[in-house]
Amino acid sequence: MKRYTLKVAGVAAAAALALTACSGGGTETPAEGAATADPTEDVTLNFTWWGNDDRASRYQEAIALFEDEHSNITVQPTFVDFPNYWTQRSTEAAGRNLPDVMQFDLSYLREYSENNHLLDLTPYLGESIDVGEIDESLLESGALDGKQVGIPTSTNTLAMFYHPSLLEQTGVAAPSEDYTWEEYNEFIAAVSAAGATTPEGQPIYGAADYTNTFWFFLQWLVQQGIEPFSQDGEINFTEDDMKEYLALAEDLRASDAVYPVDRGIQLLPLGGFTVNESASEISWDNFLAGYTADSADENIQMLPVPSGPDGEKGMFFKPSMLLSAGANTEHPAEAAMLIDFLINDPEVGRIFGTSKGVPATQTQRDAMVLEEGSVDARVVAYEEAVADQVTEPVPVPVKGFGSIEAEYKRLGEELAYGTVTIDEFVEQWFSEAALMVQ
Amino acid sequence: MTLLDEVTGTGGRSAASPPSATRRRRRAAETRAGYAFLAPWLIGFFALTAGPMLASLYLAFTDYNLFAPPSWVGLDNFTLLFSDPRFLQSAKVTAIYVVLGTPIKLAAALAVAMLLNNNRWGQGLYRSVFYAPSLIGASVSIAIVWKAMFIDAGIVDRLGQSVGLEPGGWVGDPGKTMPMFILLTVWQFGAPMVIFLAGLKQVPTELYEAASVDGAGPVRKFLRITLPMLSPVLFFNLLLETIHSFQIFASAFIISGGTGGPAGSTLFYTLYLYQRGFVDFRMGYASAMAWVLVVVVGIITLLFFRSSKAWVHYSGEAK
Repeated sequence: MKRYTLKVAGVAAAAALALTACSGGGTETPAEGAATADPTEDVTLNFTWWGNDDRASRYQEAIALFEDEHSNITVQPTFVDFPNYWTQRSTEAAGRNLPDVMQFDLSYLREYSENNHLLDLTPYLGESIDVGEIDESLLESGALDGKQVGIPTSTNTLAMFYHPSLLEQTGVAAPSEDYTWEEYNEFIAAVSAAGATTPEGQPIYGAADYTNTFWFFLQWLVQQGIEPFSQDGEINFTEDDMKEYLALAEDLRASDAVYPVDRGIQLLPLGGFTVNESASEISWDNFLAGYTADSADENIQMLPVPSGPDGEKGMFFKPSMLLSAGANTEHPAEAAMLIDFLINDPEVGRIFGTSKGVPATQTQRDAMVLEEGSVDARVVAYEEAVADQVTEPVPVPVKGFGSIEAEYKRLGEELAYGTVTIDEFVEQWFSEAALMVQ
Repeated sequence: MTLLDEVTGTGGRSAASPPSATRRRRRAAETRAGYAFLAPWLIGFFALTAGPMLASLYLAFTDYNLFAPPSWVGLDNFTLLFSDPRFLQSAKVTAIYVVLGTPIKLAAALAVAMLLNNNRWGQGLYRSVFYAPSLIGASVSIAIVWKAMFIDAGIVDRLGQSVGLEPGGWVGDPGKTMPMFILLTVWQFGAPMVIFLAGLKQVPTELYEAASVDGAGPVRKFLRITLPMLSPVLFFNLLLETIHSFQIFASAFIISGGTGGPAGSTLFYTLYLYQRGFVDFRMGYASAMAWVLVVVVGIITLLFFRSSKAWVHYSGEAK
């Protein structure tokens, strides 16, 4: 029976965290005014972000510079990958023990902000945090209900990446810039049907199923003239909208013209595109650095996303890598100084390049070393080239966005395996979303 | 009364004198000392086990997202559970795993235990070697190795191809993930094997000798002597391994990357519980799941004990 006792203890362990959470209660309110920093006091700031080793070494370099400037402040850094990042933050939030400064994503901002887990940075704006160079609408994306709970450090927009070398092998030409979703489908089908293989004998596909990513669905909705979420945080699209979008790639799935899901799953964290078995992929433009490193293809090219029914791309800049401070921080003034340093210091701009997206401040954009043909130069060139197609505001994520996005991805996998139909997908997603978006 | 008297039972206890005041004081002091030594465990039990369990019982009846205080919803979580397709999927996956994995594992453990029960040279070494997987089997590193073995072009795929089979990658195929997990648990047969070995040593050799004299073959000896004599050990192992199977988490989490995929085929109960609690922030729902599991495991344990009267024989009993 001993194992049984252990088992019960294990089940209860989850609740133990919850128990400590109860005592924390949701009663704190952020301070009204700005705290002031005392340069003689020794302060330790906890700082955390999600990302890979590459990002970690860049942050370490930036932190070292910050500590040189502020000898009384020590920054204690930690990092983890994106999904686990949010399970860690949620348990910390329950214990009112969030880090002093953390990288934040738009998807989760509302959840944490509504329950007063994030410090309102408004009193520091223009004081210790200089936001003069950040575009006003971009800055606004980090403000919810009149509180500035996050400062975006960069922007991303979607792009369609492709391997010219694979296209050459299959004899299929890249789509022209004004291509539509249907033409993208034709392109994918043509590449997959070409019968080309990699040196290891794996067949080359046109792309993986693009309909299983929630943000691409949002991009498509915007192109149809549908605002995905209403101002009061409700879902603004219908089941039929989602069915129509998922049906876009139905023929590709049925004819096995998309990259096989079972192989894709086994390659994780890589994917068909990064092992050079899939010719194209839609993603955020700052992925170019990672794609280039993982695939060893120095010549990956970028196109804007396919056009909507009116021939417009309707693209948007997504604010990314926001910086926020925990409402429970004991050192709000120093936290604000670190945030200011990370968004404005030119050296930090040089260190990160476009690896987090194109920097939000002109100073940091100017500080980047843009060698001809380098990854950074190409991402900047891409954003400049598509700037006049970026005509729409970014959809403001609703509460629970992170969860409904994850649910969409999960159902996308089931759709690829054929264990759910489009109708079941949509039905299950909406019933889940009804629970999450409240 | 000296400590030796106490241990050997030859002290004043046998003399029927009434307890003196000194002895009562000493008793009280010993009780206090006993509790003092127990204190670390007691504190751990109440603070880390009983308290959180009670809290989770309360949370099971609330809507609690970790951020805002819990709000009472009555039985809502429990009614939602049984209309949740993923909950039913996780119950199904776990049931298949328990029902198939446990008997196969016990059969393997018993078979190896019987092979190792002979006095051969180096048997100590063999016992250690066969036990080793049990020590490391539940670890994260083994889950990673297992995944690497069963992936596309992994060692299993290549070995299969060399003998003319086409096993492919098991990790990405929803139909093949369950066999992979059952193999992983069967491979860890060491712990029940050691217990079976100890049980086999207890079977009196006279019984086998007498059976041989009566002309019984090996199969008959196994069915009529080994199994009945071993039934208490078998019962113990069955109970333990069944409950153990319900707990599978780490290997499923690692191999599916925390998703329970592909297509929900590795969505074990505890993994789904974790997802609901810590990924979807629905702690009330997760607590309800935990209590459903406790009740189910409790009922199964009870059924085992009830049925044991019919098939478990304790030596010395008149049967």
